[in-house]
Amino acid sequence: MIKKSVLALALAGLLSSPAYADLTINGFASIKAGMTTGSNDTLYGYADDLDFKNESLMALQVRSDLGEKLSVTAQLMGRGNNDFDIGFEWAFLTYELTDNMRINAGRLRTPFYKYSDYMDVGYAYDWSRVPQSVYSLGFDNIEGISLYRTAQLGSFDSTLQLIFGAYSGNISLAGSAASAKIDNIAGITWELGQDWFNLRAAYLSGKVTIDAPALQPLLGGLQQVGLPQVATSVDFADDKGVFIGLGATIDRNNLIAVFEFNKVDVEDTFFAERENYYLSVGYRFDTITPYVSFEREEHSSKAEIYQPLTTALPPQLLLPLIGTVESLAFEADTFNIGMRYDFHPSAAFKAQFSSQKDKIQNDRSGLITVGVDLVF
Amino acid sequence: MRFLTTFVLILGFTTALAQAEIAVVVNPANANAVSSDDLNRLFLGRASSFADGSKATPLNLAEGQAAREEFDSKVLNRSSAQLKAYWSKLVFTGKGTPPKELADDAAVKAAVAGDSTAIGYISSGSVDGSVKVVATF
Repeated sequence: MIKKSVLALALAGLLSSPAYADLTINGFASIKAGMTTGSNDTLYGYADDLDFKNESLMALQVRSDLGEKLSVTAQLMGRGNNDFDIGFEWAFLTYELTDNMRINAGRLRTPFYKYSDYMDVGYAYDWSRVPQSVYSLGFDNIEGISLYRTAQLGSFDSTLQLIFGAYSGNISLAGSAASAKIDNIAGITWELGQDWFNLRAAYLSGKVTIDAPALQPLLGGLQQVGLPQVATSVDFADDKGVFIGLGATIDRNNLIAVFEFNKVDVEDTFFAERENYYLSVGYRFDTITPYVSFEREEHSSKAEIYQPLTTALPPQLLLPLIGTVESLAFEADTFNIGMRYDFHPSAAFKAQFSSQKDKIQNDRSGLITVGVDLVF
Repeated sequence: MRFLTTFVLILGFTTALAQAEIAVVVNPANANAVSSDDLNRLFLGRASSFADGSKATPLNLAEGQAAREEFDSKVLNRSSAQLKAYWSKLVFTGKGTPPKELADDAAVKAAVAGDSTAIGYISSGSVDGSVKVVATF
């Protein structure tokens, strides 16, 4: 939280902004090292060799107050798993309509989860990483516009966010590269809190289109045998996706408990319906906060797509169809135990052990992560 | 000048240690009452006006000042690490900026005396006629 007035002046000059431009530069960084405990285990991008790069990141945020209630914020981030290549994580304009109502427009964080906005800012939470069972959907940023309104309802603080926008980008679908597009994204999130507790609900929907070259032979084959309706029930062609999220936090007398649940589906596609949750409990002993958490994720494959066709389809189509649909099935339980140690006013040391049981492969993987999260 | 600053600093520390009491101060022209709930909202960025609707500008003491820690723990009920985490959530989402920090009691007094919207806190021993006390902790 430093104000660099010299740099501010220099940049203000460069940008030839109005005479008065208040520039604030903040940054955050995470340096993490991790390795799995078993020789063939992989988890969250780690393997059994000590890796310093996978979850490390650095970011700079520049906010310029242009006066007249207008400001611009840009966040530049380099992630270790992308070789620290710098990209605009977000860049948006903020216009303050009133003291408690603002509009953001530009590249924004998709408000799926409770910690969406600052999931990269490790310093802002106690875990080594946000619970991946719930946070791993992707589509983290969208281009659009958001209305943000805070209000006081009696002794409660209410925060309402409406968001509209679109996503386009490259993703991985059933293990192969694909380009994805979500149009007409509309969402609403509402948080209600008091001093020691906070409740949150989120609903987002959008029209999902995914172009996956690896799927083309299967979709073409289904068309050829006169089953275009099956092809339609598999592919992502402007199909409606819905995200529902619920969350609750308690932070009282040094006890911290967090719960989040979400449910995701994309109708008329082979997307496996997801239901995920986690519960985390920690206790703050002054500068040391130990915690335990449990996560469950369940991605239920849509077997109803191929079940009526097991006798009707030739094996050269049936097998790839089953394979494709079932490739998205996943079920896992994860236990985490860890601690945060605030050893410095701007930095926290963290250590976490995670153990994930893949209930489909019946396989358990363990991971140890240590690291430092800081803000400046 | 440096001598004076050091002197004021030392004075601030010793009185804070001796009394361990902090005074929330506003401009003498400000007639608003300020509850501890109001202080919470103002210093956590959840409100930006006084009871009468006029603009409020909260002013923090710099980290390391005795009264700052007292204020954080007694009024905001949070440790400095918790507050840092709290503000990092707002700062990195473009939703808020923490109150401006001033070096010591003398700087807070000067700022409050010269700005009718300002609200700050200082060690009780530093209070004089240039500011008005609205609460003590």
